[in-house]
This record gives sequence, structure tokens and C-alpha cells, in this order.
Amino acid sequence: MSAAAPFVLWLDDPIANGHPALGGKFSSLGEMTASGFSVPPGFGITTTAYRSFMDAAGLSEEARRVSAAADKMALEDIKSETKSLIAGVLNAPLPAQLEADIREAYAELERRTGVKDVPVAVRSSGESEDLAGASFAGQYDTFLWVCGIESVLHYVRQCWVGMFGEAVLSYRVDGQAVISRGDFGMCVGIQQMVQARAAGVMFTLNPLNGDRSKVAMEAVWGLGEGVVKGDITPSRFMVDKVTLEIVERKRSDQREEYRFDPSQGVAVLPIEEERIGVSCLEESHVLALADLAKHIERRRGAPQDIEWAVDVNGNVRVLQVRPETVWSRKAAQSIVGKQRSPIGHVLARMAGNQIAKPAATGAKGAV
Amino acid sequence: MEVQNDTTPSAKRRFQSPFDVATPPGAEGWQELYPYYAHISEERRAVEEQKLWYFDGMHNPEPLYPFDTIMTENWWVAASQMTTKVWPIPVAMGIDQRIINGYLYVSPNSIDDPAEVARRAELFNERAGHYYENWDTIYAEWKKKANGCIERLKQIQFKALPEFEPEENVYGHRGIYSSHDLLSSYNRLIENLFEMGSYHFEMLNLGYGAYLTFREFCQQAFPGISDQTITDMVSGIDILLFRPDDELRKLAARAIELSVDEALLVNSDPAAALAAVGALPGGAAWLAAYEESRNPWFWFSTGVGYTHSDAVWMTDPRLPFTALRGYIQALRRGEDIRRPLDKIIETRTRVTQEYRELLPTEDDREAFDGLVKLARTVYPYVEDHNFFVEHWHHSLFWEKVRELGEVFVAHKFFDDKEDIFYLHRHEVYDALYDMIIGWAVGTPPRGEVYWRPIIQKRRKIRDALAKWSPPPALGLPPESITEPLTIMLWGITQETIQQWLGGDTAEDGVIRGIAASAGKVTGRARLITESEQLYDVQDGEILVCRITAPSWAPVFQRISAAVSDVGGMMAHTAIISREYGLPAVVGTGFATVNVSTGDLIEVDGTEGTVRVLEKAVQA
Repeated sequence: MSAAAPFVLWLDDPIANGHPALGGKFSSLGEMTASGFSVPPGFGITTTAYRSFMDAAGLSEEARRVSAAADKMALEDIKSETKSLIAGVLNAPLPAQLEADIREAYAELERRTGVKDVPVAVRSSGESEDLAGASFAGQYDTFLWVCGIESVLHYVRQCWVGMFGEAVLSYRVDGQAVISRGDFGMCVGIQQMVQARAAGVMFTLNPLNGDRSKVAMEAVWGLGEGVVKGDITPSRFMVDKVTLEIVERKRSDQREEYRFDPSQGVAVLPIEEERIGVSCLEESHVLALADLAKHIERRRGAPQDIEWAVDVNGNVRVLQVRPETVWSRKAAQSIVGKQRSPIGHVLARMAGNQIAKPAATGAKGAV
Repeated sequence: MEVQNDTTPSAKRRFQSPFDVATPPGAEGWQELYPYYAHISEERRAVEEQKLWYFDGMHNPEPLYPFDTIMTENWWVAASQMTTKVWPIPVAMGIDQRIINGYLYVSPNSIDDPAEVARRAELFNERAGHYYENWDTIYAEWKKKANGCIERLKQIQFKALPEFEPEENVYGHRGIYSSHDLLSSYNRLIENLFEMGSYHFEMLNLGYGAYLTFREFCQQAFPGISDQTITDMVSGIDILLFRPDDELRKLAARAIELSVDEALLVNSDPAAALAAVGALPGGAAWLAAYEESRNPWFWFSTGVGYTHSDAVWMTDPRLPFTALRGYIQALRRGEDIRRPLDKIIETRTRVTQEYRELLPTEDDREAFDGLVKLARTVYPYVEDHNFFVEHWHHSLFWEKVRELGEVFVAHKFFDDKEDIFYLHRHEVYDALYDMIIGWAVGTPPRGEVYWRPIIQKRRKIRDALAKWSPPPALGLPPESITEPLTIMLWGITQETIQQWLGGDTAEDGVIRGIAASAGKVTGRARLITESEQLYDVQDGEILVCRITAPSWAPVFQRISAAVSDVGGMMAHTAIISREYGLPAVVGTGFATVNVSTGDLIEVDGTEGTVRVLEKAVQA
């Protein structure tokens, strides 16, 4: 691990590109920023910062013990096993230099955006996300619309604590608790909130059959939380990655959206009459997003799962990028039934045989 | 045998029986226009009622003229014998035909007995394999045969019979005379058509087969990939069908160089334009270039070439002159009217490469490479045979038939050379014999009084038939549509059948078809049921027709979208629609029934829908 990493690393710092101390999500966002994609400004409180805090608080040893034991812990025992560790993380004082660095970085973000108490998203970005096959989708915490440095500091600790929550400790891939595979640190990303007009998630393949020639997109009015949580039915778009044609679309009749409200924070609120029955994305946005997905995938060299937003000015922003983990783990299955010469294929077809089987289906492709 | 049995649980929905189709008013007796073997008949009811017959509006959108059945009767044999006798396509037999109310209905025969399929497969593999392996050589030979056939057609001449035999027939001791020449010229004309008709299908089914295989591979690998994208990967850029239009672009540029452009612009009548150009200093040079371009590129039909009534550029240059004026105006505005060939090639290369990279395994990429290469090998034939056969040869053929029509006019059988098309080709032989009897004997032939009333009656009948709208299908749909040519040529699939069965009117004002060219446009409809109506098309209108033809290209400059009743991925239209970037929806089944000229409609070529937004006020 990079002991040399500073406590705070900005996404647009040249060394942020893929830096391990930023954890999975934020090192990817560093890479996206370096590649010129439109990523909202922000910084990561690195894994170095996390380890420095844990060492200073005398909690490192206990954290290692809990992680290592995760594989054998029964779900009902997790709470009691982690109780003192969590209390420690929530209450131990921050080392002075670390706290000063975070305060200075947030002040810098206020200066850069020109907004006092600039609303930010506070996101966990764990090292464990780098493990192939473990997306930890939705397991780590994200806090939206956090305003002011005191709140930021509060939610940074919440993210750290999240490492020891039931969901993370019990997250298993191939029957093994992922967290027990190593001594993982946690980076916390602080990023300016995007005032999303519409947002959502896209995969650079068709998640239903693994067809890599498609970009599959789900989109909602407002913040993308509804898509991720699944409590708002999104509109769906399927785009041919090569020709950038929309080959399938299904508009959802959305009546509520996630949006920030000064009195309630981020909440599910009704949407105005004018937007009901209207597609949350214009065709040009769908195509711009598909093009973006194609470039990100090409840049990253493998299928990706991308969170995005269209801001109030109509600009497409990249919020999160991570490797697609389902189809990428499966052994590629050939679609040609039988090896034949090209003429052999044609003759077989004219004899009434199918020469290729459909792209894999979920059942067939299961590992 | 009782077939209307919709109450049993297994009963499938079926179309109207061909036996229940009523004769349109005024068309009583239409059967006499066509030979006995082309009719639905009680003797064959058991077979005929159990088959699916679909309307071949793609090739024959209008009621057939009796003489024009030579084309449909040609492929009835020529296309079918390729799949049954030459290389027995394992699962397919021939495609049967019937004429119902003057319209052509077809029905493919297929084979499902596994033993028979296997027996045919063995023969097929050897024979078809030989063609695929030697494709380029065979295609080079094919072009020679086609050119030879066209040359021999050009040599055939029809002249009225002389008062006395010319001297050379006497002193040359020929022993055969003008009567024999006339009969044998007619026989050669008919044989020549059947010869070209046979070449037409020599390589076509195999060409489609290779393309179809590649297409299915792509559809399995990339579910939802559009037919247009697949065609783009294999289509050539220098295909002959673009050539006539390219010639016009060249002529437009040449007209500006030689300063004859104004004369072409101000004279909308082609003859007047040519005369005005001829009077100018640069005129001779331009007219020379024009003559050069015309042969053979103006042997270009405005229809699919299967009917004599389709105007041909050579004899009716209104369409090319309209296009020419459009190109001159574009050039004057400083536009580049050349086709962006580099861009087309670049896109084709990129698209093919990108799909290839998205395949899951090396085996798949290998299969893809081989299939795309084979499809590209066969595709020049698939695209170019059209110019040789339907446009050049057939247009020339119709002109020869008119030449014979003149002979009948000279011998007082007909009032107009076009009347010949109201006779079946077998009747023409009888009439010719009648004519030479009269000529030889000196008694006035019966044909002088016999044919006029028949022609008059048949014209009325055909006019009545033209007002009838043929349903897309009749009879009993099969369990599944597997016959490759039905799918390839007519675009008819299980879904099409279901859609047709779903009803003939769009309940919600939405007509559904195949999304053929992306984009959405709203505009006034222009319904075209006969190619003569093409000249009525106004700028920005949406063309609604049974089928469009590639040679309508100049009209595509004026329209904003195209909608057709019939057609699938291989319909000749697809190529030109793409070129012009117009939204198009094909295979709607009923657009010409539900849309009238002047209706405000919305064409969504991305979704494959046509919406009638506002009906035109009927004058």
C-alpha cells in the first residue's frame, strides 16, 4: 500500500489517476478526470489518512482481528463483535494534521466552486472494491447533500464505520467473506453534488444476455438514487454501441423523484405536471451517454458499470465508474455451434440448421 | 374438406380463403386475362385452401397485364427450378403462384421430412459448394452470358410484312420468307426473355443464402442489430444501381462547365431542353456526353422492371431531367453532390471491425471473418444483377414488344401499339399466325375485327381491378415460416403474419412496419399506386406506396420520408433510402389502404411506425 500517499488527494491531481490510496471508486474517478471526462470536482481522504487515524486511536489491531474473523462470524454475532470498534471509530479524536488537511481541502472546494458550505456527496471508496468480482454494490455508504465542514467530518467517520457494518462483513463471493481476504483500508471521497435533472446507471453490455454490442441504460428524473435503490421505476434505453442507434426504449411513467429539499434533505418528492409523461432523457442525451460509455469502456479495457447525471445545464457528468462484475467473470462462451468453413456454415444454414446460438442467457451463462 | 374450423382448441387463425375473394364490381370475367394454370380452381381446392398465399406487391404492385405475366411465369419456373432441381435446397421447394383478381399471390413450398432433407443436402452441398468456391469466376462468366443475351435481344427486329418479298429472299434462294422471319423473331424474343430470366436466378438464391447466414449470425451474436447495419457491413459502394444517378451528377457538372446549365434549368420539357442545349456553343459537346451516359445507363426502369408500364429513363427522360435540374441547382449553391465514398468505406470498415471485437471468443471472430468475407463476395452479384436483368434487359425487352405492337397496328389489328399488353403471349402467337394467314392468302384476317372489342373489355376489367386493394395474405399460415427466400426476399416472418392477422386497420391510428431507415418526419402523404403518378410528387411530401423502386431515386430528392406496404431487408429500396438518409418504414401491409394523398402523417423510421395525424379533407 502506498504509505507515501498524502491524507488528501484531489481528483484532478495527476497522481490521483488510479492511485490505490483512493480506493476503488475514487481512483477510477481520478482516472476519468485525467482522461478528460466530465467528473464533478472533489478530493479523497485517502486510505493513508484512514490508517493514520486508526493507528493514532489504537484501533488498527482490533480492526484487523474483526476483518480476519469475518469469514467465521455468524450474522447475528457481528453486532456484538464490532461494538467497541465502532464506538472507537466514531469517538476517537482525529490526528491534528489530518483534521487540518480535511478542513483546508473543503475550504478549497468552497473556493473552487464559489459556494459557501458547498453541498457535497460523501462516499465510501474501499480498497476491497478493487477485488475482481466484488462490486460491493450498495454495501458501502454514501451521504448526499452534506453541507459544511462539521457535517463532512461527521460523515467521514460514518463511512469509516461502514467498513464494519453487517452488510460489508457478511458480503460473500464464492462463499468467502471478501473482507477477510486482507487488511483493507477505506478512502472517503468528497465531491461536489450535481444538481441532477436526470440521472441513472448504464452498463457497457446488455446485463440480460452479456451482449457486448449494447449499452444498457436506466434513467430517472432527479438524483440517480432511485435507480440504484430500485424504488423508482426507471426509463430504459438500449443503444447499439457500434452504430449508436437506440434499438429499444421503454419510458417509465415516473411521478416522484429523489431531489434535495432544504427542509427534508434528500427525499422522494412528487414531480411537476409538465414533466409527467415526458422522457427524462432527450435522444441526444441518450446518444451522448452511450458514446461516453463506449469511450470509458475503451479507456478501461473491459465492460463497465457507470453512474452518471445530466446536470441542470444539460451537461453529462460521470459520477462513478466500476468494472462490470457479472458477465466479466464468466468464461466467454462461443456462439457458433460448430467449427466450419464459411461455406460450410452457409450450406448448413440452407439445410435448415442454425449456425449460431443466441448470445448467452442468464441461466446458461451462470457460473 | 371442411377447413373453416376455428372452434377446436388447436385451430389457428387464418386469412380469408382464396376461394372466398369476391370479384370487384366491373371486373367480372377477369379470369380470361390469364392462362388456366394461373387460377385458383375447384379441382385443386384441397391443396390451395391449405396454403398461405401472400400478395407479391413487391414485384407486382398493380394488376398484371396479360402479356406481362411472362415475367411472373418466368420466375415461377426459373426461381423455383433452382431450389428444387439445380441445387436442391434441403428445406425449400419452389414458390407457387396464383393470380387472384389480377394480382399475383405466391406461396413457397417447403420440406420437413428429415430423410428427404438429408438426401437433398448431400446433393446441395456438392453443387452449391462448387458455386461458392468459384464465385468470382462464375460471376465473370455470368456477365458475359448476360451481355451476350442483351446483344442478341438488340438484334431482334419486328417489321410489318411487305407487299412483295424483297429480291434477296428470291434470288438468294432463301426458301423462307417474311412470315417465317416474323414468327421466328417472336419466338426468339420470348426465348430471349426466358434465357435472361434463367440467368437471373442462376446465382441469386445462393447469394441470398450466404447473406442470410451472415445476417443470422449477427442477429444471434448481437440481438437487436438492425438489418441496415448488417447490410452496411457487406454492401459495396460501386454497385451498378447507383451508376445512372452518378451519371446525372456528372452531366450536371458538365452542363455548368459548358455553360448549358441555364438552358436545362428553364426548359422543364426534356425535348425542349435538348433542343435549347443543341443551339448553344457548348451544346454539341454536352449532347455527346449525354448520349454517352444514356447507353446503357438510361435503360433504367422507374419500377422494378417487371411490368411494361414502368417508365424507363431512356424513353421517358422526365425523371432524370428533374434530377439533373436538382443537381445543377445544388452545384450552383456550391454544394458537393458527389457521393461521399471515402466516408462510406470508412464507416463500413469501422463498423465491421467494432462488431468483430465485441464477439465473445476467437472461434466466433473466425466465423465472423469468414462469413463477412463470403457475404461480400456474393453481394456484388446480389446488388448488380438488378441492373443487368430488370433494368437493362427487361426495359429493352418491353421496347421490343412495343415494336411488335406497331406491326399489329400496321396490320390493322390494334389501334395502339400498347394494346399488345392486353394479350397473353400465347394469344400473341395466335394473332401473329392469323396475320400471316391473311397476308399469305389475301382474305382479311379475323384479327382485324376480333381483338379490338376484347382489348376494350380487358382494359375496363383491369381498370376495375386496379381500384381493388389486395389483402396481404390469403389462406392458412404454416406452423412456422422457415423457407429462406420468403424471409429474405419478401421480409415475411412469423411476426409479419401475426401482425397481418391482427387486423387490417390500425385501431389507434398507428400503422406498424419494419423500421427501414432511422429518423422521424411529419408531412403530407402522397399516395402512389401507379408509377405514372410519380410526377405528381411535391417537395417535402411523404411517399406512400405499395413498394418503392431504387430507380425512383430522383424522387427521393423531393420527398421527406417513404412508407411502403411490402418489402423486407432485401427490398431494392433499402439501398437508396440509406443513401438519401430519409426515414422509411416498409412492410406495413396496409399503409396504402389507410393513408390517402394529403393526409398529415408522422413517419418514425426508428420505431417502424406511421401515424395518421389528420385526414385530408376529401375534395
